[in-house]
Amino acid sequence: MVGLSEGEKHFIRGGIAQDLRTDGRRRLQFRAISVETGVIPQANGSARVRLGATEVIATVKAELGKPSILHPDKGKVSIFVDCSPTAAPMFEGRGSEEFSAELCVALQRCLLGGKSGAGAAIDLSSLIVVDGKVCWDLYIDGLVVSSDGNLLDALAAAIKVALSDTGIPKVNVSLSATTDEEPEVNVSDEEFLQFDTSSVPVIVTLTKVGKHYIVDATSEEESQMSSAVSVSVNRHGQIRGLTKRGGAGLDPSVIFDMISVAKHVSRQFISVLDSETLAAEAAE
Amino acid sequence: MRDLQLSLNQTQRVRLEAALHELQTVAPAAAVTVADTIPVNDEDNILKGHGTSDQDGEVVATLCGVVERVNKLVYVRTLRARYKPEVGDIIVGRVIEIAPKRWRLEINFSQDAVLMLSSMNLPDGIQRRRTAVDELNMRTIFEENDVICAEVRGFQHDGSLHLQARSQKYGKLERGQLLVVPAYLVKRRKQHFHHLEQYDVDLILGCNGFIWVGEHVVVGENANMMENKLNLSAEVENFTPLETRKHICRLANAVRVLSALGFTLTVELIIETAEASVSSNIEINNMLGAEFYVQTAEREVKRRADLLRKKSGAR
Repeated sequence: MVGLSEGEKHFIRGGIAQDLRTDGRRRLQFRAISVETGVIPQANGSARVRLGATEVIATVKAELGKPSILHPDKGKVSIFVDCSPTAAPMFEGRGSEEFSAELCVALQRCLLGGKSGAGAAIDLSSLIVVDGKVCWDLYIDGLVVSSDGNLLDALAAAIKVALSDTGIPKVNVSLSATTDEEPEVNVSDEEFLQFDTSSVPVIVTLTKVGKHYIVDATSEEESQMSSAVSVSVNRHGQIRGLTKRGGAGLDPSVIFDMISVAKHVSRQFISVLDSETLAAEAAE
Repeated sequence: MRDLQLSLNQTQRVRLEAALHELQTVAPAAAVTVADTIPVNDEDNILKGHGTSDQDGEVVATLCGVVERVNKLVYVRTLRARYKPEVGDIIVGRVIEIAPKRWRLEINFSQDAVLMLSSMNLPDGIQRRRTAVDELNMRTIFEENDVICAEVRGFQHDGSLHLQARSQKYGKLERGQLLVVPAYLVKRRKQHFHHLEQYDVDLILGCNGFIWVGEHVVVGENANMMENKLNLSAEVENFTPLETRKHICRLANAVRVLSALGFTLTVELIIETAEASVSSNIEINNMLGAEFYVQTAEREVKRRADLLRKKSGAR
């Protein structure tokens, strides 16, 4: 990423202090969001989300597998994130490994819940086919195509849209007489199950610059941040995850304030995302 | 026409496509792709310029672009090329390195430009020979990542591009923002520095596609800038008045809209677009929304149609 001169840095910080950012937004305003679904036909579900100049693609692929021994009645979900070298020259080769891992961990925390499986955004019980024997494995892959700040929010939005676009084939099971053998599964080519994404959260990142915090920071504004808090909120206003980045510490009262602001902002963001998703699915 | 990263609804898409189609009919260009034959008069001694090649007696294009003819010179002007410097161009660049006796600048060229310590005015304005102390203090004049406007001096014998900043109007740019657009959108003109008095804003259209929109700085104020540097951080919130900042952001968004639509950037068009957003009661951040894009394209169609009508009326 290209650096900024001192004059530009002061202009950005002064703009945030005066509630007028460099592109005219206020502190709690998002950039225009654009959604496409079904961009990758080979995947069970896919979505492309543009947030300003940030562009990400998320796909969901489903495979039949064996449930975990710890949770024989639940399916499995994995999340991977890759930063394409075309997004920024610094992502070339192994440059994006650390950043991708950071995004990946944050998304896992917000979407997959704790180790007990409670709090997961997806109802993992709906992924089970035969208890202890057969289940669906979901692989969620995120690809950062263009990077202009606020990647975490864009990735979470893309995953939410991709999950709503996902169709999982219906499975007919014929149990054999001997219970020890593997059951025969017949995957349907025409019948598909859809996910209930009402509990899938979005992530709102509040970036602290000076004495104020902003949502949807561009890469230039992110370079001026002291810290950033990403709050994962679902439609019902429940907090599903919380992640903090940046080297500076935060006062606990500031964190509580950020959480309440994130709840408030996410309501509008979710409604905008839902309307864009419906428009994209209608246009598909 | 660039890929618009916007979600247009059906009505907006139809309006935008109609506007762009009308723009193409008003001014059709002789566009060629690679290996297209360029029709020339065989009797003339045609000079084959950049982007052309001779093939079995025919002139074929080696680039995708628009055919231009200047007397007997035929060349192809590409639309997505990097900036090609010419002597006398006014450019805006960013310092990326400080080397002995020189700064290296990024100017959207295939190599870095060089600004020698001897090619620029000292901050105190005194005309004197540069000393070793000046070399040691180069970082106090321009440090890394500073934005500078300068003039292209020419290519040196070793192939490097040299700049000069010998006037008070050149030098460091502060209190504003830098926008990067494709270089072909900025036409070469006599004037690239614009002081918009009604906005108290300086607008610099660099020939390399770097555009600076910032608060107006009185020429000669650079001498006081060094003394005020210590107070800069303390006054960051009140550094730029809010009204001036609104104008800066509105003009910057006008540049973003025009460059996304692929229109040539002139100071008149930028001001007109910014004023249109004011008269339409469009918020500054909504200038980057879909509706204002369509309005801008439609307004450009009307403007060029008016121009064409004036030319027809004159004849």
